Amino acid sequence: MRIETCYFCSSKIYPGHGVNFVRNDCKIFKFCRGKCHKAFKRKKNPRKVGWTKAHRKAAGKELAIDSSFEFEKRRNVPIKYSRETWQKALVAIKRVTEIKERRTNHFVMERLRKGREMEIHMDVKDVQRNMSLIRSPAAGLRERRAKEAAEEAALMEEEDLPEEKITYVDARELEKRLEEGMGIEDLEMLEA
Amino acid sequence: MGMVQKRKKMHYGDTHLQRRWRVRNRRRDLDQIDDDMRTRSAELINQNVDLEKPGFAQFYCVHCAKYFIDDTAMQAHFRTKVHKRRLKALETEPYTIEESERAAGRGSFVKAKKRTMETQPTKEEVIAGKRIKVEEIPSTVDADDKPSTSKAKRKREEKMET
Repeated sequence: MRIETCYFCSSKIYPGHGVNFVRNDCKIFKFCRGKCHKAFKRKKNPRKVGWTKAHRKAAGKELAIDSSFEFEKRRNVPIKYSRETWQKALVAIKRVTEIKERRTNHFVMERLRKGREMEIHMDVKDVQRNMSLIRSPAAGLRERRAKEAAEEAALMEEEDLPEEKITYVDARELEKRLEEGMGIEDLEMLEA
Repeated sequence: MGMVQKRKKMHYGDTHLQRRWRVRNRRRDLDQIDDDMRTRSAELINQNVDLEKPGFAQFYCVHCAKYFIDDTAMQAHFRTKVHKRRLKALETEPYTIEESERAAGRGSFVKAKKRTMETQPTKEEVIAGKRIKVEEIPSTVDADDKPSTSKAKRKREEKMET
């Protein structure tokens, strides 16, 4: 007894189920059910149909590349029955399936975690972008304006503080001195 | 009274499609065409006269597996969307039974290769020695992917041990 795989969706085909199609070049295509057979007749590409294993593996939805997939093979070599190998094989099969399951589950969880991280990231971005919806930009506007006005006033006062020294000079005296032939620089020197 | 009125059909069904999908109307599959391109392109383009076939089997498009009645019809076909779509579909390696088994968990996943695809050479060129080329495009993406996957795998194995 052999459990075959479906050509289209790669599921198991147990004896007594499904359809075989033999193409005129002797290749045998096995289908698990009418759905897969029909899709084949319609020349659908399994890689592009979402519910097939081929698509899920190509799209990175499932663990696709792993050493645990190398155990199961179509060997086409008859093995002589011996009780020992039979027992060993049974143990090995159990162990391999256990490891395979753990790895595939781990892969899926890792994949989903990435999505959750992305979700959180997008949420943060969304909040930052639409902050105005949560807190109105006009909230506390009056207080802010009053504060600004106060600050400005303070600035103005500061600017006023340093006053220039102004000296008053009699205009007639100044003219006289200029006539005597002294420059303005000299005058300033005199005053100092 | 008594007049039988014809029922107005609201849905024309898919009978015309079902007929096309019958096994006796089956056309060549993509993997067969892929094989044709690789191994038998010369003999398919330059066929012997066959009175049963359209155009006496002198005008055959390998990619679409189709006979034409004359050269103008074939050249017109090369310019159509149907033909270009087929070229595009053949750019990736066709799906095979082996791939379905790999997807089922017998062996690791192998990414389908990309190839360059051009319309077939003319009959004269084929006689002169030209064939349909199926050249794989060496993808740089793959080289980048591999280390990351192996790294992930290593990480996973480390976790397994712990």
